[in-house]
Amino acid sequence: MATAIVRSAKNFRNLHQRFYFHTLLTKCRPPIPSPTIADNIQHRALPLIQQAIPFGIGFQSFVADQRFSSTSTTTGTVQSGHSKPNSEGGDKSGDSNQSKSDTGKPIRGGPISWLSFLLLALTGAGIIWYYDKEKKQHIEEINSASQAVKQGPSVGKAAIGGPFKLINHDGKNVTEKDFLGKWTVIYFGFTHCPDICPDELQKLAAAVDKIKENSGIDIVPAFISVDPERDTVEQVREYVKEFHPKLIGLTGSPDEIRNIARAYRVYYMKTAEEDSDYLVDHSIVMYLMSPKMEFVKFFGKNNDVNSLADGIIKEIKQYKR
Amino acid sequence: MAALEAYASRNADEVHTDVLLKARQACYKSRDAFYDCLEKESNKKPTEIASVGLLYPAECKALRAQFVNHCRASWVKHFDRLYCKNKRVTRLLDDGGETRR
Repeated sequence: MATAIVRSAKNFRNLHQRFYFHTLLTKCRPPIPSPTIADNIQHRALPLIQQAIPFGIGFQSFVADQRFSSTSTTTGTVQSGHSKPNSEGGDKSGDSNQSKSDTGKPIRGGPISWLSFLLLALTGAGIIWYYDKEKKQHIEEINSASQAVKQGPSVGKAAIGGPFKLINHDGKNVTEKDFLGKWTVIYFGFTHCPDICPDELQKLAAAVDKIKENSGIDIVPAFISVDPERDTVEQVREYVKEFHPKLIGLTGSPDEIRNIARAYRVYYMKTAEEDSDYLVDHSIVMYLMSPKMEFVKFFGKNNDVNSLADGIIKEIKQYKR
Repeated sequence: MAALEAYASRNADEVHTDVLLKARQACYKSRDAFYDCLEKESNKKPTEIASVGLLYPAECKALRAQFVNHCRASWVKHFDRLYCKNKRVTRLLDDGGETRR
């Protein structure tokens, strides 16, 4: 009874296989082979085939393989295989099919098919189209947002400026409250500056005069020293006297200078070469402050007198509006 | 208040006049004279040492002395550095990057 079961199982296996292969490889036209032939073939000593065909169909698969591939080690079997095509054709094609699937070539029933490729292409195209749409939307949003803001002056103000307690060139204590009510242009420098500070202050003085001439607006120029150790009140007084009568010079203790430099984001650094003879590296900026001592605009070194004057006038007019 | 007074009186007597207008102008003049000499004698071999790596020919020695006299030492160094930088830029622009220096 056990053997009957085994035989029936084997038969069932073979039948199943034959049915499977029959549906797959119709072009080879396999007639249904008998199990006895398969058993006979199994007994031939062909290790290659026995490895390839676990179900023990025989060397016909190997033979069939030879039809489709060029390498062959046992050509003798090929010849004998070819000699009986008809009866064993089914097995052959079936075996070839199975061996082919064992070698992993794409065939129907495998993971890759034309349908799956089509689905992949569709998904990819869908994703690309969706991403493109989102990106366009995003760019439009940015554009509209930036245009909407351009209507008025800049949204928000830079956090530049702040309260300070310094000494002016007359020796008086001044705070930022003393500058309220008039437009102020502040320049940070030091009196021992070789060329840049004198040039900038001259430019500022000329611009102040030009602005008064063109628009009648009074501007208060201020010079704040970033070298408090050498720039005493007298030093500053002598220095600013030469540029413009309205130029106010401010100095103070190193702590106060540090505070105001931090508030105005001014960089300054002593290039300590010797004790008393050194230069101070500093940022070259002029700050335009409103009558409320709020920061409005800054001007760099690249502006000449005219562009500085015009820029200041423009900002004042815009502010009043 | 006391600190303020102390600060004000610290260096009360010395006002560094060599950074005021007249001194500055004298310095600029001598500086320009010296650098013009350098430009004129640029074909001569630079033998004298100026500062920060700048060399100049012996013909400009007198002008150099005057330049150093009229200007503070830190200013001299500053101007020399500036001059070297400008020289390098003009050389680059003139050669168009042909000479590898």
